[in-house]
Amino acid sequence: MKSTRLVLAAAALLAFLAAATASARAQAPLSPEDARTLEFGKEIYKIKANCQFCHKWDASGDTGYGGVALSLRKTALNREQFAEVIKCGRPGTGMPYHDQYAYTDKRCYGMTRDDVGKNMPLLGESLSPREIDAVVKYLFAKAVGRGESTYQDCVDFWGTETRQCEPMKK
Amino acid sequence: MKTIGFAGALLTSLLVATALTPVQAGDMTFERALNVDKEPHNWLLHHGNYQGWRFSQLKQINTDTVKNLKVAFTVALGGYESGGRYKFGNLEGTPIIEDGIMYVTDGWGSVYAIDVSSGKKGVIKWKFDPGTDRAWAGDVACCGVNNRGVALWKDKVISISLDGRLFSLNKATGEMVWERKVADPAIAETLTIAPLVIRDLAIVGVAGGEFGVRGWIDATDLNTGQQKWRTYTIPGAGEHGNETWKDGKERWKHGGGSVWETATYDPESDTFYQGIGNAGPDWDPEYRPGDNKWAASVLALSPSDGQIKWGYQYTPNDPYDFDEISEHQIINAKVNGQDRKLVVHAARNGFYYALDRANGSFVLGKQYVDQLTWTPGLDPKTGRPLNYNPNTDVQEYAPGSHGSRKGPASGRLCPSHYGGKNWEPGAYNPELNLLYIPSIEGCNTIDTVEQKDFVDQGGTIKPRERFAGGGGRPTERLYGSLKALDPATGETKVRQRLEYPNYSGALATAGNLVFLGHYDGTFSAHDAKTLQELWSFNMGTGINAPAVTYSVNGKQYIAVLAGSRQSLNVWQNAPELKNTSTASMLYVFEQ
Repeated sequence: MKSTRLVLAAAALLAFLAAATASARAQAPLSPEDARTLEFGKEIYKIKANCQFCHKWDASGDTGYGGVALSLRKTALNREQFAEVIKCGRPGTGMPYHDQYAYTDKRCYGMTRDDVGKNMPLLGESLSPREIDAVVKYLFAKAVGRGESTYQDCVDFWGTETRQCEPMKK
Repeated sequence: MKTIGFAGALLTSLLVATALTPVQAGDMTFERALNVDKEPHNWLLHHGNYQGWRFSQLKQINTDTVKNLKVAFTVALGGYESGGRYKFGNLEGTPIIEDGIMYVTDGWGSVYAIDVSSGKKGVIKWKFDPGTDRAWAGDVACCGVNNRGVALWKDKVISISLDGRLFSLNKATGEMVWERKVADPAIAETLTIAPLVIRDLAIVGVAGGEFGVRGWIDATDLNTGQQKWRTYTIPGAGEHGNETWKDGKERWKHGGGSVWETATYDPESDTFYQGIGNAGPDWDPEYRPGDNKWAASVLALSPSDGQIKWGYQYTPNDPYDFDEISEHQIINAKVNGQDRKLVVHAARNGFYYALDRANGSFVLGKQYVDQLTWTPGLDPKTGRPLNYNPNTDVQEYAPGSHGSRKGPASGRLCPSHYGGKNWEPGAYNPELNLLYIPSIEGCNTIDTVEQKDFVDQGGTIKPRERFAGGGGRPTERLYGSLKALDPATGETKVRQRLEYPNYSGALATAGNLVFLGHYDGTFSAHDAKTLQELWSFNMGTGINAPAVTYSVNGKQYIAVLAGSRQSLNVWQNAPELKNTSTASMLYVFEQ
């Protein structure tokens, strides 16, 4: 009957929506390539570009030596904008640029060095497009849009041979 | 009788067990430490002598011969691993040399005993690795992975690790005899300081002024490995100076006052002079109204019990991060015709101070940096900044020289918050009566961010989170100077401009030379009278440590640790350095 079909349709719709959302949030198994990319991105965040110095290991932001760095977990930027900020830095702030050719042409915010003048961002560690892409993927997989970091996040980042994560154990 | 016999045997065994380690030939003793000038071939103490002079009587290498200086040998060290917030360990240590054996440390706290007696190569006799928890300690080190050196005591080497431990090592073998946990990284306390040994005590202090620590100085009894005393640099409730913390919320408990460079010691009065670090949070002075004693001060203390004899504060309610931990030389001088016993200090805040070391009274002060904008000068009687306002608890000093909650970005601050002189030590030549100051010149800006409270004070900041209330910005290219001051007047007699701000420190010798390491890897020798550069060698990596000199088999050598990739704040305005690699090397020079 009509009402049953309606209920079934509604149920199917709900099930579809639930499945769609679940798959978005679930830890779908990564391809080996994707897993490598995340590790690569983490290594750059942690060591090569040393982003953690200002943004903290869990990207929750910080103050002090290293400047006043935003929480990346709370960013409203999409992946493209995020990559642009890493590449080009943020003029007038302490966020460095990581594309060594930034501001030599108009690739950054349509501005050259002359255009940006005194607001020229700081020079950071030189990263290739592939490296920047890996950092973005790592942060979007592990930090962006997630609440407070957890003990597991900590162990994933630091390993278990250090006391670093003990304060986070509940 | 049996009982007495037993008691006697027990007493004897107790005496044997607790007796001071018997002194043997070749042991480091207090007597030797008081008389280092009798052993000019050795460099036995961190600052050369207890008085902080970093001066050697050796003159085989002198103004006539230094042009022939060349590398004798080098030794590669470890300690460059990453950990915590740092990509690699750093080298800021001063070597110690005793009878042909050199003791150096790397940033993660490994101690190397290097036999340099052949003059042709350095053989690492032993290496002690403290197994520092690198992530745990490195995440709460503000400014690099550093270890400024060891001390010698009897037949032991006394060392520290960044994760807060003090070690007694067998000098012959490097085997650890005991370790003592002194600083606690769980509350963001670390150790980077070279221990000061006076009699049988090792004195160290805590680092962590950007992480909300309450500073302290601590003494370990080297006979037992136990704490002898601890004195907080920020006084507690009811203690003298606590009334200068006027927030009403006990913020003195996280007030800073760190201690990260070795004190000087005056045997005559049995007093050691400890420079004290910045107030915390560094750049939000509204969080901590009041003068904030004893941050940005010097304390005169008694080594046996840690009692404070007197204190003198350089920058009340310090809004700049003007740490004053660097060395306080002990010099006697004639001031205005009068013989004075002084303790002097080229302060981070840009002024040279001479104080009476008996009571801390101000004798004189004079600007030594090229540019200084935060105050027009010092009160001639008290030495206080002229624009210190006794009617207000939060000091503005020069308007715009620091940020505030209402106006977070400062104007131009000179000297920069790195100071006119940071930790890098100066040197004193008593024959020429000149104090050599390697300085950081130039300005920057600082930002204020309103500081939130720690969770133990009702707020949201957890232990081990940064507690700095803002940050600095590298707005200009900093440069450096080597200046020769008359310690009796503070007058700069001679100056030499340096391309880079100096972060390594000076060595002065009776060969009328001053040695300096530079950020771009240049190691230079200067004429002690004219400061003209007479010789240099470039090592292709930053030098962030002070040089020493020693001799073995009658031949003089100069030694320095080299290997430092400069920080991002430096390359901004010195992009030619941006591809510098770190390294971890000992360089030894001969002629």
